[in-house]
Amino acid sequence: MTGLKNAKAVENTDDYRNVFVFLEVREGKFLRSALEMIGVGRDIARKVNEKLVCLILGNNISKLADEAVEYGADLVLGAESPDLEEFRTLPYTSIVSDWVLKEKPNIFLIPASRNGRDLASRIAVKCQAGVTADCTELDIEHDTRILSANRPTYGESMLAEILCRKHRPQMATARPGIFKVPEKSRSENPEIRISKVKVDKSLKTKEIIEFRKKEKVDLSAAKIIVSGGLGLGKAEGFKALEKLAKTIGGEVGASRPAADLGWISRDHQVGQTGQTVRPRLYIAAGISGKIQHIMGMKNSENILAINIDPNAEIVTYSDYVIVGDVKDVIPRLQKEIDSYRKEHSGKKESKIASAS
Amino acid sequence: MALEIVVMVKQVPDSQEVVIDPVTMNLNRSLTRNVTNKADENALEAALQLRDEVGGHVTVVSMGPPQAESTMIECLARGADRAILVSDRFFGGADTYPTGLTVASAISKLEKVDVIFAGEESSDSSTGHVGPGVAEFLGMEQATYVSSVKYADGFIIAERELEDGTEVIKMPTPVLLTILLNANVPRRQTLKRKIAATKQGYEVWNLEKLGMPPEWVGVRGSPTIVRKMRPIKEKERAAKRFEIDQIPDLVRELFEIGALKLEEMQ
Repeated sequence: MTGLKNAKAVENTDDYRNVFVFLEVREGKFLRSALEMIGVGRDIARKVNEKLVCLILGNNISKLADEAVEYGADLVLGAESPDLEEFRTLPYTSIVSDWVLKEKPNIFLIPASRNGRDLASRIAVKCQAGVTADCTELDIEHDTRILSANRPTYGESMLAEILCRKHRPQMATARPGIFKVPEKSRSENPEIRISKVKVDKSLKTKEIIEFRKKEKVDLSAAKIIVSGGLGLGKAEGFKALEKLAKTIGGEVGASRPAADLGWISRDHQVGQTGQTVRPRLYIAAGISGKIQHIMGMKNSENILAINIDPNAEIVTYSDYVIVGDVKDVIPRLQKEIDSYRKEHSGKKESKIASAS
Repeated sequence: MALEIVVMVKQVPDSQEVVIDPVTMNLNRSLTRNVTNKADENALEAALQLRDEVGGHVTVVSMGPPQAESTMIECLARGADRAILVSDRFFGGADTYPTGLTVASAISKLEKVDVIFAGEESSDSSTGHVGPGVAEFLGMEQATYVSSVKYADGFIIAERELEDGTEVIKMPTPVLLTILLNANVPRRQTLKRKIAATKQGYEVWNLEKLGMPPEWVGVRGSPTIVRKMRPIKEKERAAKRFEIDQIPDLVRELFEIGALKLEEMQ
């Protein structure tokens, strides 16, 4: 327990070096956010010639430590125990805070996932440090080694740049799905320190009775997403989208209102309260483009909007717009894609035939 | 066993709110820009349901300026037993650290606390950090992003919604729970109860009551500062328009730029 203590400015910020990243593990594997943290943490660390230190807690983590090294960890700090297999606030806070207080990192990045946020604020308080939540841009000022932590605010219309000048570590949580998964890039002299730990009974107050896994569509990895909104008119409208998505090798997404109405399950929802996606092609069918939805898909490489209203908000965020009723447009799009394929894959086959 | 329950609430900017003038006891129909954070209303409802089932008291604690009065009255009108507004000019400009410290300090002055409820996050700053911060200051177990709460034999059993599923967890009290937006339907405040709540009134606690140094709270106690704000610049996109009859052209273009790929088709 921290007790009622104030945030404490450190005497000499030069005593604080290196970049910590917390790597979230589920069922023995890294979450995608873990690799995102390595990517952004590595960029920052290499900019100022400091070490990227990856923190991994779990049961059997040696393979994960090796994987972190492949991606560029200079140092892996690991804690192993059957009691750490699942995320639990108290033991995780205790172990990670001990590392922070001992190793004195300059920067500490944690994914802004649900468990990440659960953890980040407790560590900040325990270490009497500052934390900036849900960042979408992170950078370091070369001379001062001050973290520029940027987060959307005012309904995602403005970006606030937040600094933590005198407290260390400079902590931030980073919004999942925003930062890119990096290429592998092994560091020159990696070091792995994994210790077996015994979790004190006083920290084991939370018992996880059951975990009901959701059959989740992972839209964050999809190359193509076909999303539907209220413009579909009814739940059945998603059938045509499913067919189209299947044809072009994509997944089905949805706006929040469509999910709210139960037209499709919540795990397809894209946006601020759903998933953040960045596919190569995003098709927004009958989605007006409320900012909450835009936030979740605006980083897509190509955006095609299908809307009956040529002035819908989605239009300004789109590369291509088909003006028309989704009910008419989708079948036509399906038909034209089918015939394009027939025409072109036919050619390919005939080439192969003549070559043989 | 009766439970002593605390609910952390925050007033946030929003559209409209009906206020009762405490002097005239009339409805003030003028629009105000502040409302109770929606997820906090769900936290209050979860707290009231727990109290109604198990017995005990619900105390609402909020840090905010004097105009948070409407939120205090609203919480009482919904059924809270006591409301404390922690308010002082020294608290202004606080980031999540001193906000958590101030709220935790107020809660620590209460005689007994079994369960603390908070909303998953506030709609205006969306950090979700103050709840866990308070739990850390008070040395309490916590469960965040909770959708349902039960109490049996001294234990809280909660469902916690994660990105990939639902955790069912069991914890002894004291514990802090953050409740998901729309986890329940908040009970309504009737005009009658609103008038009664306004008569009952709420307490205002200042910095002196908390007994903390002024440099620990508000902007002076905040490790982070906002250096600047800038509008989010979006990538310029062409919004190239196609009518239904031009769809063949669009399809060809999508294949040509590689947005659609024949080899990915099924």
